[in-house]
Amino acid sequence: MKALVVYCHPHGNSFNAGILKSVQDTLTASGADIKTLDLYADGFQPGLSEGEFTSYLNPHIDCPLLTRYIEAVKWCDALFFVYPTWWYGVPAVLKGWLDRVLIPGVAFHMPDGGDIQPGLTHIKSLGVFTTCGASRKLTWLVGAPGKRTLLRGIRLICHPNCKTVFAAHYSMDDSTPDSRSRHIETVKAKLARFVKSRISKPALTENA
Amino acid sequence: MRALVVFAHPCSESFSAALHKQVLTTLEKSGWDVDDCDLNAEGFSPVLTEEERRNYHEEAINIEPVRPYVERLQKADGLFFVYPVWNFGYPAILKGFFDRVFLPGVSFDIVDGKVRGKLDNIKTLAAVTTYGGTRVRAFLAGDPPRKCMTRPVRFVVNRAAQTKYLALYDMNRASDQKRASFLNRVDNEIGALR
Repeated sequence: MKALVVYCHPHGNSFNAGILKSVQDTLTASGADIKTLDLYADGFQPGLSEGEFTSYLNPHIDCPLLTRYIEAVKWCDALFFVYPTWWYGVPAVLKGWLDRVLIPGVAFHMPDGGDIQPGLTHIKSLGVFTTCGASRKLTWLVGAPGKRTLLRGIRLICHPNCKTVFAAHYSMDDSTPDSRSRHIETVKAKLARFVKSRISKPALTENA
Repeated sequence: MRALVVFAHPCSESFSAALHKQVLTTLEKSGWDVDDCDLNAEGFSPVLTEEERRNYHEEAINIEPVRPYVERLQKADGLFFVYPVWNFGYPAILKGFFDRVFLPGVSFDIVDGKVRGKLDNIKTLAAVTTYGGTRVRAFLAGDPPRKCMTRPVRFVVNRAAQTKYLALYDMNRASDQKRASFLNRVDNEIGALR
């Protein structure tokens, strides 16, 4: 498995940094190759500029950071996101990563007069590990938009057999050291099981 | 009646810009006092910084980095968003507006662990948007941008607020006629809001 981990949190000693570490450790232990993109540390600017929008359908990338991100997306066959859920969605910096990196020609194709065609068909595994201020019930009532943007929206442009894994620590503001360490164990266990199920299917990897 | 119009598209020749112009014209025609907030033109930074994250729950100081935006939000009676849906979400610049401006003590309070809306001044809420994908595609993805607007944002404004969500789907293949009729619909429906 070639795993790309996209990490988005503004400070280094957050609980999300702990989740990132357990995701990386679990992937390494499962024998995966890993690349991590730390969007805040890279100073990634999320705004899609006027120039980028005008040339959206025929992108000309002259930003080294974007080139590196796009190369990483093309390289991987598994894509994982680690971020805090803010306002029921991904942080603006991660949303900007989707807007500026998952562009036509990279993530999807728009044939003349046809519907959008998937472009990430080399990605067969997709994962989201997040934290939510809201409770599980409230997140469910709202419809978990952040999770859906990624696990359904982005999933639509991945391989048709792409499988997903998800874990969230809800009600973060009431979290305790105990609930947080239990969550870290959940992340490790879910991810290890997921990776095992994905790499034990040779038919899928041979298609790469 | 004061309307805050939050616009999030970088290009002046886009259809979103045409929708923005239509919303401004319609609101002025129906007697609103319009505060036009073009996030790209104003150079709004969507990045919630490390310091902002640390002070997020400190209500005495959390608004400092974005005070002018908070004041504009608190002065408004109506809140109108005009933006394209990209990748099943808001453009990052608009997502950052929620991350940075819709703060504890501004748009909501947490009382006994429960979230309570605080934007009682907003009695009208509307979103005007376009999707690249079809409605079926958006439905399959759970239509996150529609849910964000009609649920959590709706939840923090006045309880009795009237709400409108106007969307043109399958934008990439929309004919001139379809776009014109959407502009017309926006004029009618936004014009009917008070």
